[in-house]
Amino acid sequence: MMTRRRAFGLLPRYLVLVPFAALFVFPFYWMLVISLGTLQSVFVFPPYLYPLGHFENYLSAVGLLPDPSTGQYLQIPWARYFLNTVIVAVSSTALVLVTSVLAGYAFASMPFPGKRVIFGLVLAIYMVPAEVTLVPNFIILADLHWIDSYQAQIVPFGASVFGIFLMRQFFLGLPHDLWEAAQLDGTGHLRFLWLIAAPLARPPMVTIALFHFVASWNAFLWPLIVTNSDNYRPVQVGLEAFSYADATNPVLHAAGSLMVTLPILIMFLLAQRQIVGGIAASGIRG
Amino acid sequence: MAIARRRPRRQEGQISGFLLISPAMLLLIVFVAIPALWIFWLSFQRWDLISGTSDYIATANYQRLLLRDEVFRKSVWQTVYYVVGTVPTSMALGLFLAVLLNRAMPLRDLLRTLIFTPYVMPIVSTALIFSFIYHPDVGVLNALLNGVGLPKINWLSSPRAVMPAIILYSVWQHTGYNTVIYLAGLANLGPELDEAARVDGARAWQRFWHVTWPLLSPTTYFVLLVNMIASFKVVQPILIFAGGVSGAVAGGGGPDKAAETIGYYLYVQAFSFFHAGYAAAISVVLFLIILAITGLQVGIISRRVFYR
Repeated sequence: MMTRRRAFGLLPRYLVLVPFAALFVFPFYWMLVISLGTLQSVFVFPPYLYPLGHFENYLSAVGLLPDPSTGQYLQIPWARYFLNTVIVAVSSTALVLVTSVLAGYAFASMPFPGKRVIFGLVLAIYMVPAEVTLVPNFIILADLHWIDSYQAQIVPFGASVFGIFLMRQFFLGLPHDLWEAAQLDGTGHLRFLWLIAAPLARPPMVTIALFHFVASWNAFLWPLIVTNSDNYRPVQVGLEAFSYADATNPVLHAAGSLMVTLPILIMFLLAQRQIVGGIAASGIRG
Repeated sequence: MAIARRRPRRQEGQISGFLLISPAMLLLIVFVAIPALWIFWLSFQRWDLISGTSDYIATANYQRLLLRDEVFRKSVWQTVYYVVGTVPTSMALGLFLAVLLNRAMPLRDLLRTLIFTPYVMPIVSTALIFSFIYHPDVGVLNALLNGVGLPKINWLSSPRAVMPAIILYSVWQHTGYNTVIYLAGLANLGPELDEAARVDGARAWQRFWHVTWPLLSPTTYFVLLVNMIASFKVVQPILIFAGGVSGAVAGGGGPDKAAETIGYYLYVQAFSFFHAGYAAAISVVLFLIILAITGLQVGIISRRVFYR
Protein backbone atom coordinates (compact mmCIF):
# COMPACT_ATOMS: atom_id res chain seq x y z
CA MET A 1 0.00 0.00 0.00
CA MET A 2 2.73 2.37 1.05
CA THR A 3 4.90 1.63 -1.98
CA ARG A 4 1.98 1.99 -4.32
CA ARG A 5 1.20 5.41 -2.86
CA ARG A 6 4.86 6.39 -3.24
CA ALA A 7 4.95 5.26 -6.84
CA PHE A 8 1.79 7.25 -7.46
CA GLY A 9 3.42 10.31 -5.89
CA LEU A 10 6.34 10.00 -8.29
CA LEU A 11 4.08 9.86 -11.34
CA PRO A 12 3.99 13.64 -12.03
CA ARG A 13 7.79 13.69 -12.03
CA TYR A 14 7.95 10.98 -14.65
CA LEU A 15 5.27 12.69 -16.71
CA VAL A 16 7.58 15.70 -16.97
CA LEU A 17 10.97 14.00 -16.98
CA VAL A 18 10.35 11.28 -19.55
CA PRO A 19 9.16 13.62 -22.34
CA PHE A 20 12.09 15.93 -21.60
CA ALA A 21 14.57 13.06 -21.71
CA ALA A 22 12.98 11.97 -24.99
CA LEU A 23 13.49 15.47 -26.40
CA PHE A 24 17.16 15.36 -25.46
CA VAL A 25 17.61 11.96 -27.11
CA PHE A 26 15.47 12.66 -30.17
CA PRO A 27 18.23 14.15 -32.39
CA PHE A 28 20.31 10.98 -31.97
CA TYR A 29 17.31 8.87 -32.92
CA TRP A 30 16.72 11.18 -35.86
CA MET A 31 20.33 10.72 -36.97
CA LEU A 32 19.63 6.98 -37.09
CA VAL A 33 16.30 7.42 -38.92
CA ILE A 34 17.79 9.59 -41.67
CA SER A 35 20.88 7.44 -42.05
CA LEU A 36 18.73 4.35 -42.69
CA GLY A 37 16.32 6.05 -45.08
CA THR A 38 16.38 6.65 -48.81
CA LEU A 39 16.59 9.93 -50.72
CA GLN A 40 12.86 9.61 -51.33
CA SER A 41 11.97 8.86 -47.71
CA VAL A 42 14.03 11.77 -46.45
CA PHE A 43 12.63 14.32 -48.88
CA VAL A 44 9.05 13.60 -48.03
CA PHE A 45 6.71 15.75 -46.04
CA PRO A 46 5.57 14.98 -43.42
CA PRO A 47 8.73 12.94 -42.66
CA TYR A 48 8.91 9.26 -41.78
CA LEU A 49 9.36 8.98 -38.02
CA TYR A 50 10.82 5.47 -37.92
CA PRO A 51 13.98 3.95 -39.45
CA LEU A 52 13.62 2.08 -42.75
CA GLY A 53 16.57 -0.29 -42.51
CA HIS A 54 18.72 0.70 -45.50
CA PHE A 55 21.94 -0.38 -43.87
CA GLU A 56 23.67 -0.29 -47.25
CA ASN A 57 23.82 3.51 -46.82
CA TYR A 58 26.74 2.94 -44.49
CA LEU A 59 28.57 1.01 -47.20
CA SER A 60 27.88 3.90 -49.56
CA ALA A 61 29.21 6.40 -47.03
CA VAL A 62 32.50 4.54 -46.76
CA GLY A 63 32.75 4.11 -50.55
CA LEU A 64 32.11 0.36 -50.84
CA LEU A 65 28.85 0.92 -52.71
CA PRO A 66 27.99 3.77 -55.09
CA ASP A 67 26.22 6.85 -53.72
CA PRO A 68 22.56 6.21 -54.65
CA SER A 69 22.04 9.87 -55.58
CA THR A 70 24.88 10.09 -58.10
CA GLY A 71 25.89 6.51 -58.87
CA GLN A 72 29.48 7.45 -58.06
CA TYR A 73 31.67 5.85 -55.40
CA LEU A 74 32.49 8.31 -52.60
CA GLN A 75 36.20 8.74 -51.94
CA ILE A 76 36.17 9.82 -48.30
CA PRO A 77 39.29 8.65 -46.42
CA TRP A 78 37.36 7.81 -43.24
CA ALA A 79 39.98 5.33 -42.04
CA ARG A 80 42.66 8.03 -42.29
CA TYR A 81 40.42 10.55 -40.46
CA PHE A 82 39.71 8.09 -37.65
CA LEU A 83 43.37 7.14 -37.40
CA ASN A 84 44.31 10.83 -37.17
CA THR A 85 41.75 11.46 -34.45
CA VAL A 86 42.88 8.43 -32.46
CA ILE A 87 46.56 9.41 -32.75
CA VAL A 88 45.84 12.96 -31.62
CA ALA A 89 43.42 12.02 -28.83
CA VAL A 90 45.60 9.26 -27.37
CA SER A 91 48.87 11.15 -27.46
CA SER A 92 47.52 14.44 -26.17
CA THR A 93 45.73 12.59 -23.36
CA ALA A 94 48.98 10.82 -22.45
CA LEU A 95 50.86 14.12 -22.52
CA VAL A 96 48.28 15.82 -20.31
CA LEU A 97 48.44 12.99 -17.79
CA VAL A 98 52.24 13.18 -17.56
CA THR A 99 52.41 16.97 -17.22
CA SER A 100 49.48 17.07 -14.76
CA VAL A 101 50.84 14.33 -12.50
CA LEU A 102 54.34 15.83 -12.38
CA ALA A 103 53.18 19.40 -11.79
CA GLY A 104 50.34 18.41 -9.45
CA TYR A 105 52.76 16.40 -7.33
CA ALA A 106 55.34 19.19 -7.19
CA PHE A 107 52.73 21.79 -6.21
CA ALA A 108 51.32 19.49 -3.53
CA SER A 109 54.37 17.83 -2.01
CA MET A 110 57.62 19.57 -2.87
CA PRO A 111 58.96 22.79 -1.39
CA PHE A 112 60.39 25.27 -3.87
CA PRO A 113 60.70 29.05 -3.90
CA GLY A 114 57.74 30.99 -5.28
CA LYS A 115 55.44 27.95 -5.25
CA ARG A 116 52.33 29.83 -4.12
CA VAL A 117 52.82 32.64 -6.60
CA ILE A 118 53.42 30.25 -9.49
CA PHE A 119 50.35 28.19 -8.61
CA GLY A 120 48.29 31.38 -8.45
CA LEU A 121 49.49 32.29 -11.94
CA VAL A 122 48.56 28.83 -13.19
CA LEU A 123 45.02 29.31 -11.88
CA ALA A 124 44.90 32.77 -13.49
CA ILE A 125 45.73 31.15 -16.83
CA TYR A 126 42.47 29.21 -16.50
CA MET A 127 40.67 32.46 -17.28
CA VAL A 128 42.16 32.73 -20.77
CA PRO A 129 39.70 31.24 -23.27
CA ALA A 130 41.21 29.35 -26.21
CA GLU A 131 39.15 31.45 -28.65
CA VAL A 132 41.04 34.57 -27.58
CA THR A 133 44.45 33.08 -28.33
CA LEU A 134 43.61 31.53 -31.73
CA VAL A 135 45.51 34.13 -33.75
CA PRO A 136 48.84 34.24 -31.86
CA ASN A 137 48.80 30.46 -31.48
CA PHE A 138 48.40 30.09 -35.23
CA ILE A 139 51.37 32.42 -35.77
CA ILE A 140 53.48 30.45 -33.27
CA LEU A 141 52.66 27.16 -35.00
CA ALA A 142 53.37 28.66 -38.41
CA ASP A 143 56.78 29.84 -37.14
CA LEU A 144 57.47 26.32 -35.88
CA HIS A 145 56.43 24.95 -39.32
CA TRP A 146 53.83 22.82 -37.56
CA ILE A 147 50.81 23.76 -39.70
CA ASP A 148 49.20 20.57 -41.01
CA SER A 149 50.77 18.14 -38.56
CA TYR A 150 49.86 15.96 -35.60
CA GLN A 151 51.92 17.97 -33.14
CA ALA A 152 49.91 21.11 -33.98
CA GLN A 153 46.85 19.32 -32.59
CA ILE A 154 48.64 17.71 -29.64
CA VAL A 155 51.31 19.94 -28.11
CA PRO A 156 49.29 23.16 -27.56
CA PHE A 157 46.88 21.11 -25.41
CA GLY A 158 49.61 19.16 -23.62
CA ALA A 159 49.13 20.91 -20.28
CA SER A 160 45.83 21.41 -18.49
CA VAL A 161 45.16 23.74 -15.58
CA PHE A 162 42.20 21.57 -14.63
CA GLY A 163 44.46 18.49 -14.66
CA ILE A 164 47.17 20.12 -12.54
CA PHE A 165 44.56 21.35 -10.08
CA LEU A 166 42.88 17.95 -9.77
CA MET A 167 46.19 16.10 -9.27
CA ARG A 168 47.39 18.64 -6.70
CA GLN A 169 44.15 18.25 -4.74
CA PHE A 170 44.58 14.49 -4.71
CA PHE A 171 48.25 14.53 -3.67
CA LEU A 172 47.50 17.05 -0.90
CA GLY A 173 45.12 14.46 0.54
CA LEU A 174 47.70 11.65 0.65
CA PRO A 175 48.77 10.77 4.21
CA HIS A 176 52.15 12.29 5.02
CA ASP A 177 53.21 9.01 6.71
CA LEU A 178 53.56 7.41 3.29
CA TRP A 179 56.21 9.92 2.27
CA GLU A 180 58.02 9.71 5.61
CA ALA A 181 58.17 5.93 5.46
CA ALA A 182 59.45 6.08 1.90
CA GLN A 183 62.10 8.61 2.91
CA LEU A 184 63.41 6.28 5.61
CA ASP A 185 64.01 3.79 2.84
CA GLY A 186 65.97 6.42 0.96
CA THR A 187 63.34 6.89 -1.69
CA GLY A 188 63.40 10.24 -3.47
CA HIS A 189 60.48 12.19 -4.82
CA LEU A 190 60.60 10.74 -8.32
CA ARG A 191 60.71 7.12 -7.15
CA PHE A 192 58.01 7.79 -4.57
CA LEU A 193 55.80 9.39 -7.20
CA TRP A 194 56.37 6.56 -9.68
CA LEU A 195 56.02 3.64 -7.26
CA ILE A 196 53.53 4.84 -4.65
CA ALA A 197 51.77 8.17 -5.23
CA ALA A 198 50.91 7.87 -8.93
CA PRO A 199 49.49 4.31 -8.68
CA LEU A 200 47.24 5.54 -5.85
CA ALA A 201 46.11 8.47 -8.00
CA ARG A 202 44.21 6.35 -10.51
CA PRO A 203 40.77 7.96 -9.87
CA PRO A 204 41.72 11.58 -10.69
CA MET A 205 43.87 10.35 -13.57
CA VAL A 206 40.90 8.49 -15.06
CA THR A 207 38.77 11.64 -14.76
CA ILE A 208 41.41 13.79 -16.45
CA ALA A 209 41.98 11.22 -19.20
CA LEU A 210 38.25 10.85 -19.95
CA PHE A 211 37.66 14.62 -20.08
CA HIS A 212 40.65 15.22 -22.27
CA PHE A 213 39.95 12.32 -24.59
CA VAL A 214 36.36 13.44 -25.17
CA ALA A 215 37.44 17.04 -25.77
CA SER A 216 40.15 15.92 -28.15
CA TRP A 217 37.81 13.60 -30.06
CA ASN A 218 35.26 16.39 -30.45
CA ALA A 219 37.78 19.14 -31.25
CA PHE A 220 36.74 21.04 -34.35
CA LEU A 221 37.70 24.72 -34.49
CA TRP A 222 41.43 24.34 -33.86
CA PRO A 223 42.03 21.36 -36.20
CA LEU A 224 39.97 23.16 -38.86
CA ILE A 225 42.45 26.03 -38.64
CA VAL A 226 45.74 24.11 -38.40
CA THR A 227 45.17 21.23 -40.82
CA ASN A 228 44.77 21.52 -44.56
CA SER A 229 45.25 18.01 -45.90
CA ASP A 230 43.56 14.67 -45.38
CA ASN A 231 46.84 13.33 -44.00
CA TYR A 232 46.27 15.09 -40.68
CA ARG A 233 42.58 16.01 -40.65
CA PRO A 234 40.59 14.53 -37.76
CA VAL A 235 37.10 13.01 -38.26
CA GLN A 236 35.23 16.12 -37.15
CA VAL A 237 36.84 18.28 -39.81
CA GLY A 238 36.50 15.47 -42.34
CA LEU A 239 32.78 15.15 -41.59
CA GLU A 240 32.27 18.90 -41.93
CA ALA A 241 34.17 19.00 -45.22
CA PHE A 242 32.15 16.03 -46.52
CA SER A 243 28.83 17.62 -45.61
CA TYR A 244 29.74 20.83 -47.43
CA ALA A 245 31.56 19.38 -50.41
CA ASP A 246 28.67 17.16 -51.40
CA ALA A 247 25.33 18.64 -50.47
CA THR A 248 23.33 16.18 -52.52
CA ASN A 249 22.78 13.27 -50.18
CA PRO A 250 21.76 14.01 -46.58
CA VAL A 251 21.28 10.29 -45.97
CA LEU A 252 25.02 9.73 -46.26
CA HIS A 253 25.76 12.80 -44.14
CA ALA A 254 23.63 11.32 -41.38
CA ALA A 255 25.43 7.98 -41.77
CA GLY A 256 28.75 9.83 -41.48
CA SER A 257 27.53 11.74 -38.42
CA LEU A 258 26.52 8.54 -36.72
CA MET A 259 29.86 6.88 -37.45
CA VAL A 260 31.69 9.85 -35.95
CA THR A 261 29.39 10.00 -32.91
CA LEU A 262 29.16 6.31 -32.12
CA PRO A 263 32.66 5.70 -30.66
CA ILE A 264 32.35 8.65 -28.25
CA LEU A 265 28.76 7.70 -27.41
CA ILE A 266 29.82 4.16 -26.48
CA MET A 267 32.74 5.47 -24.46
CA PHE A 268 30.47 7.92 -22.66
CA LEU A 269 27.89 5.26 -21.82
CA LEU A 270 30.61 2.95 -20.45
CA ALA A 271 32.27 5.69 -18.41
CA GLN A 272 29.28 7.93 -17.71
CA ARG A 273 29.59 7.48 -13.95
CA GLN A 274 33.12 8.91 -13.93
CA ILE A 275 32.37 11.64 -16.47
CA VAL A 276 29.17 12.86 -14.80
CA GLY A 277 30.83 12.53 -11.39
CA GLY A 278 33.82 14.56 -12.56
CA ILE A 279 31.59 17.34 -13.93
CA ALA A 280 29.60 17.38 -10.69
CA ALA A 281 32.80 17.58 -8.62
CA SER A 282 34.08 20.50 -10.70
CA GLY A 283 30.86 22.36 -9.84
CA ILE A 284 31.09 21.71 -6.11
CA ARG A 285 34.61 23.10 -6.00
CA GLY A 286 33.63 26.23 -7.86
CA MET B 1 74.93 -3.73 3.95
CA ALA B 2 71.40 -3.38 5.28
CA ILE B 3 72.36 -0.22 7.14
CA ALA B 4 73.91 1.31 4.05
CA ARG B 5 70.76 0.71 2.11
CA ARG B 6 68.60 2.39 4.74
CA ARG B 7 70.63 5.59 4.69
CA PRO B 8 68.57 8.29 2.98
CA ARG B 9 70.02 9.10 -0.41
CA ARG B 10 69.95 12.85 -0.16
CA GLN B 11 70.84 13.71 -3.74
CA GLU B 12 67.76 11.95 -5.11
CA GLY B 13 65.51 13.58 -2.55
CA GLN B 14 66.85 16.97 -3.53
CA ILE B 15 65.43 16.94 -7.04
CA SER B 16 63.89 20.32 -7.61
CA GLY B 17 60.17 20.95 -7.82
CA PHE B 18 60.95 23.27 -10.71
CA LEU B 19 62.00 20.27 -12.77
CA LEU B 20 58.64 18.58 -12.23
CA ILE B 21 56.54 21.62 -13.03
CA SER B 22 58.65 22.65 -16.02
CA PRO B 23 56.94 20.58 -18.77
CA ALA B 24 53.50 21.89 -17.81
CA MET B 25 54.80 25.43 -17.26
CA LEU B 26 56.61 25.51 -20.60
CA LEU B 27 53.45 24.48 -22.47
CA LEU B 28 51.19 26.88 -20.55
CA ILE B 29 53.61 29.77 -21.06
CA VAL B 30 54.16 29.17 -24.80
CA PHE B 31 50.57 28.33 -25.77
CA VAL B 32 48.47 30.30 -23.29
CA ALA B 33 50.33 33.03 -21.39
CA ILE B 34 52.42 34.45 -24.24
CA PRO B 35 49.50 34.39 -26.73
CA ALA B 36 47.22 36.05 -24.17
CA LEU B 37 49.68 38.92 -23.76
CA TRP B 38 50.68 38.96 -27.41
CA ILE B 39 47.18 39.81 -28.67
CA PHE B 40 47.52 43.26 -27.06
CA TRP B 41 50.69 43.98 -29.04
CA LEU B 42 49.33 42.35 -32.23
CA SER B 43 46.25 44.53 -32.06
CA PHE B 44 48.38 47.61 -32.79
CA GLN B 45 49.74 46.07 -36.00
CA ARG B 46 48.56 45.56 -39.51
CA TRP B 47 49.55 41.91 -39.83
CA ASP B 48 48.88 39.72 -42.83
CA LEU B 49 48.56 36.09 -41.82
CA ILE B 50 49.56 34.75 -45.25
CA SER B 51 52.62 36.84 -46.08
CA GLY B 52 53.60 37.44 -42.46
CA THR B 53 54.23 41.14 -43.18
CA SER B 54 53.43 43.59 -40.41
CA ASP B 55 53.65 47.26 -39.59
CA TYR B 56 52.76 49.34 -36.57
CA ILE B 57 49.56 51.31 -37.06
CA ALA B 58 48.93 52.45 -33.46
CA THR B 59 45.23 52.42 -32.59
CA ALA B 60 43.92 52.27 -36.17
CA ASN B 61 42.48 48.78 -35.65
CA TYR B 62 40.53 49.92 -32.60
CA GLN B 63 39.29 53.08 -34.28
CA ARG B 64 37.94 51.07 -37.18
CA LEU B 65 36.56 48.31 -34.92
CA LEU B 66 34.81 50.48 -32.37
CA LEU B 67 33.79 53.47 -34.49
CA ARG B 68 33.28 52.39 -38.09
CA ASP B 69 32.77 48.63 -38.32
CA GLU B 70 29.06 47.95 -38.74
CA VAL B 71 29.56 44.18 -38.81
CA PHE B 72 31.37 44.23 -35.49
CA ARG B 73 28.63 46.37 -33.93
CA LYS B 74 26.08 43.90 -35.20
CA SER B 75 28.15 40.99 -33.86
CA VAL B 76 28.14 42.52 -30.36
CA TRP B 77 24.35 42.79 -30.38
CA GLN B 78 23.88 39.33 -31.83
CA THR B 79 26.21 37.94 -29.17
CA VAL B 80 24.19 39.62 -26.44
CA TYR B 81 21.04 38.21 -28.06
CA TYR B 82 22.60 34.75 -28.06
CA VAL B 83 23.71 35.01 -24.41
CA VAL B 84 20.35 36.34 -23.22
CA GLY B 85 18.53 33.66 -25.19
CA THR B 86 20.73 30.77 -24.11
CA VAL B 87 21.95 31.29 -20.56
CA PRO B 88 18.74 31.94 -18.56
CA THR B 89 16.82 29.31 -20.54
CA SER B 90 19.32 26.52 -20.12
CA MET B 91 19.96 27.44 -16.46
CA ALA B 92 16.27 27.48 -15.60
CA LEU B 93 15.65 24.25 -17.46
CA GLY B 94 18.72 22.66 -15.87
CA LEU B 95 17.54 23.66 -12.39
CA PHE B 96 13.98 22.50 -13.08
CA LEU B 97 15.15 19.07 -14.23
CA ALA B 98 17.62 18.79 -11.36
CA VAL B 99 14.92 19.52 -8.78
CA LEU B 100 12.73 16.82 -10.32
CA LEU B 101 15.60 14.34 -10.37
CA ASN B 102 16.74 15.16 -6.84
CA ARG B 103 15.15 12.21 -5.17
CA ALA B 104 15.63 8.46 -4.96
CA MET B 105 13.54 7.02 -7.76
CA PRO B 106 13.73 4.24 -10.34
CA LEU B 107 15.44 5.17 -13.64
CA ARG B 108 16.95 8.31 -12.10
CA ASP B 109 20.48 7.65 -13.39
CA LEU B 110 19.20 6.74 -16.84
CA LEU B 111 17.16 9.95 -17.14
CA ARG B 112 20.11 12.03 -15.95
CA THR B 113 22.41 10.35 -18.46
CA LEU B 114 20.01 10.92 -21.35
CA ILE B 115 19.69 14.60 -20.50
CA PHE B 116 23.46 14.96 -20.16
CA THR B 117 24.47 13.09 -23.34
CA PRO B 118 24.24 16.02 -25.81
CA TYR B 119 26.87 17.92 -23.81
CA VAL B 120 29.61 15.35 -24.54
CA MET B 121 28.75 14.60 -28.16
CA PRO B 122 30.66 16.17 -31.07
CA ILE B 123 29.22 19.53 -32.12
CA VAL B 124 29.81 18.88 -35.82
CA SER B 125 27.57 15.83 -35.99
CA THR B 126 24.84 17.06 -33.63
CA ALA B 127 24.67 20.41 -35.44
CA LEU B 128 24.47 18.57 -38.75
CA ILE B 129 21.46 16.62 -37.48
CA PHE B 130 19.85 19.82 -36.22
CA SER B 131 20.22 21.30 -39.68
CA PHE B 132 18.10 18.38 -40.97
CA ILE B 133 15.59 18.99 -38.20
CA TYR B 134 15.51 22.67 -39.23
CA HIS B 135 15.15 21.90 -42.95
CA PRO B 136 12.53 24.33 -44.31
CA ASP B 137 10.71 21.85 -46.58
CA VAL B 138 11.10 18.42 -45.05
CA GLY B 139 12.42 19.09 -41.54
CA VAL B 140 10.68 17.50 -38.60
CA LEU B 141 10.37 20.80 -36.73
CA ASN B 142 8.35 22.35 -39.53
CA ALA B 143 6.29 19.16 -39.71
CA LEU B 144 5.48 19.71 -36.06
CA LEU B 145 4.55 23.37 -36.65
CA ASN B 146 2.47 22.35 -39.62
CA GLY B 147 0.74 19.72 -37.54
CA VAL B 148 -0.53 22.32 -35.07
CA GLY B 149 -1.55 24.69 -37.87
CA LEU B 150 1.42 27.09 -37.79
CA PRO B 151 3.28 28.20 -40.94
CA LYS B 152 6.65 26.70 -41.89
CA ILE B 153 9.73 28.71 -40.98
CA ASN B 154 12.99 29.00 -42.92
CA TRP B 155 14.95 28.32 -39.76
CA LEU B 156 18.50 28.74 -41.00
CA SER B 157 17.95 31.09 -43.92
CA SER B 158 15.70 33.74 -42.42
CA PRO B 159 17.40 36.59 -40.52
CA ARG B 160 14.76 36.49 -37.83
CA ALA B 161 14.79 32.74 -37.25
CA VAL B 162 18.45 31.79 -37.52
CA MET B 163 19.48 33.02 -34.05
CA PRO B 164 16.53 31.39 -32.27
CA ALA B 165 17.42 28.15 -34.08
CA ILE B 166 21.02 28.33 -32.89
CA ILE B 167 19.87 29.25 -29.37
CA LEU B 168 17.55 26.24 -29.30
CA TYR B 169 20.43 24.00 -30.36
CA SER B 170 22.69 25.46 -27.66
CA VAL B 171 20.06 25.06 -24.96
CA TRP B 172 19.64 21.42 -26.01
CA GLN B 173 23.41 21.00 -25.96
CA HIS B 174 24.16 22.74 -22.66
CA THR B 175 21.21 22.04 -20.35
CA GLY B 176 22.51 18.62 -19.30
CA TYR B 177 25.66 20.23 -17.93
CA ASN B 178 23.60 22.64 -15.82
CA THR B 179 21.38 19.79 -14.63
CA VAL B 180 24.37 17.78 -13.43
CA ILE B 181 25.95 20.75 -11.62
CA TYR B 182 22.62 21.67 -9.99
CA LEU B 183 22.05 18.04 -8.96
CA ALA B 184 25.45 18.07 -7.26
CA GLY B 185 24.56 21.35 -5.57
CA LEU B 186 21.24 19.95 -4.35
CA ALA B 187 22.89 16.76 -3.10
CA ASN B 188 25.29 18.96 -1.15
CA LEU B 189 22.44 20.73 0.65
CA GLY B 190 21.06 17.54 2.14
CA PRO B 191 17.41 17.02 2.98
CA GLU B 192 17.37 18.32 6.59
CA LEU B 193 16.32 21.94 6.03
CA ASP B 194 13.75 20.97 3.46
CA GLU B 195 12.34 18.42 5.93
CA ALA B 196 12.23 21.04 8.67
CA ALA B 197 10.30 23.43 6.42
CA ARG B 198 7.96 20.60 5.48
CA VAL B 199 7.28 19.91 9.15
CA ASP B 200 6.52 23.62 9.57
CA GLY B 201 3.85 23.21 6.89
CA ALA B 202 5.56 25.07 4.05
CA ARG B 203 4.28 24.22 0.59
CA ALA B 204 6.59 22.81 -2.08
CA TRP B 205 6.90 26.13 -3.91
CA GLN B 206 7.56 28.03 -0.64
CA ARG B 207 10.17 25.44 0.38
CA PHE B 208 11.91 25.85 -2.95
CA TRP B 209 11.81 29.64 -2.98
CA HIS B 210 12.68 30.29 0.67
CA VAL B 211 14.96 27.37 1.47
CA THR B 212 16.45 25.64 -1.57
CA TRP B 213 17.00 28.62 -3.88
CA PRO B 214 18.92 30.78 -1.37
CA LEU B 215 21.01 27.81 -0.24
CA LEU B 216 21.78 26.98 -3.86
CA SER B 217 23.16 30.43 -4.61
CA PRO B 218 26.84 29.35 -4.69
CA THR B 219 25.93 26.77 -7.33
CA THR B 220 23.86 29.28 -9.28
CA TYR B 221 26.74 31.72 -9.16
CA PHE B 222 29.14 29.10 -10.54
CA VAL B 223 26.72 27.94 -13.25
CA LEU B 224 26.00 31.52 -14.30
CA LEU B 225 29.69 32.32 -14.65
CA VAL B 226 30.49 29.20 -16.67
CA ASN B 227 27.45 29.65 -18.93
CA MET B 228 28.07 33.36 -19.54
CA ILE B 229 31.70 32.81 -20.48
CA ALA B 230 30.92 29.85 -22.74
CA SER B 231 28.15 31.80 -24.48
CA PHE B 232 30.01 35.08 -24.96
CA LYS B 233 32.83 33.34 -26.81
CA VAL B 234 30.59 31.10 -28.94
CA VAL B 235 32.07 30.19 -32.34
CA GLN B 236 31.53 26.58 -33.31
CA PRO B 237 27.72 26.30 -33.65
CA ILE B 238 27.74 29.55 -35.64
CA LEU B 239 30.45 28.19 -37.90
CA ILE B 240 28.40 25.09 -38.65
CA PHE B 241 24.91 26.58 -38.88
CA ALA B 242 25.72 29.93 -40.44
CA GLY B 243 29.21 29.83 -41.86
CA GLY B 244 30.60 26.48 -42.65
CA VAL B 245 33.88 25.75 -44.30
CA SER B 246 32.83 27.24 -47.61
CA GLY B 247 30.48 29.87 -46.23
CA ALA B 248 33.22 31.44 -44.15
CA VAL B 249 35.14 32.34 -47.29
CA ALA B 250 32.41 34.78 -48.18
CA GLY B 251 32.26 36.11 -44.64
CA GLY B 252 29.40 33.90 -43.49
CA GLY B 253 27.48 34.93 -40.43
CA GLY B 254 24.13 33.73 -41.67
CA PRO B 255 21.39 35.62 -43.53
CA ASP B 256 21.83 39.37 -43.15
CA LYS B 257 24.67 38.66 -40.65
CA ALA B 258 21.96 37.73 -38.15
CA ALA B 259 24.11 34.95 -36.70
CA GLU B 260 27.33 36.94 -36.53
CA THR B 261 28.87 36.76 -33.05
CA ILE B 262 32.06 38.34 -31.74
CA GLY B 263 33.88 35.00 -31.66
CA TYR B 264 32.75 34.11 -35.16
CA TYR B 265 33.75 37.52 -36.51
CA LEU B 266 37.17 37.06 -34.92
CA TYR B 267 37.52 33.72 -36.70
CA VAL B 268 36.45 35.14 -40.06
CA GLN B 269 38.75 38.16 -39.85
CA ALA B 270 41.71 35.96 -38.94
CA PHE B 271 41.25 32.87 -41.06
CA SER B 272 39.13 33.96 -44.02
CA PHE B 273 40.49 37.48 -44.52
CA PHE B 274 43.88 36.85 -42.80
CA HIS B 275 43.73 40.18 -40.95
CA ALA B 276 45.65 38.97 -37.91
CA GLY B 277 46.09 42.40 -36.34
CA TYR B 278 42.42 43.27 -36.69
CA ALA B 279 41.42 39.86 -35.36
CA ALA B 280 43.75 40.44 -32.41
CA ALA B 281 41.91 43.68 -31.63
CA ILE B 282 38.64 41.71 -31.62
CA SER B 283 40.32 39.12 -29.37
CA VAL B 284 41.30 41.87 -26.93
CA VAL B 285 37.72 43.16 -26.79
CA LEU B 286 36.37 39.62 -26.26
CA PHE B 287 38.99 38.95 -23.59
CA LEU B 288 38.13 42.17 -21.76
CA ILE B 289 34.41 41.32 -21.88
CA ILE B 290 35.10 37.91 -20.35
CA LEU B 291 37.39 39.36 -17.69
CA ALA B 292 34.75 41.97 -16.89
CA ILE B 293 32.05 39.31 -16.48
CA THR B 294 34.31 37.33 -14.18
CA GLY B 295 35.29 40.44 -12.24
CA LEU B 296 31.71 41.68 -11.90
CA GLN B 297 30.48 38.35 -10.65
CA VAL B 298 33.35 37.88 -8.22
CA GLY B 299 33.00 41.48 -7.02
CA ILE B 300 29.26 42.06 -6.75
CA ILE B 301 27.19 38.91 -6.97
CA SER B 302 29.41 36.76 -4.80
CA ARG B 303 28.86 39.16 -1.90
CA ARG B 304 25.17 38.36 -2.04
CA VAL B 305 25.74 34.65 -2.33
CA PHE B 306 24.60 32.78 0.69
CA TYR B 307 27.32 30.49 1.98
CA ARG B 308 26.36 28.10 4.70
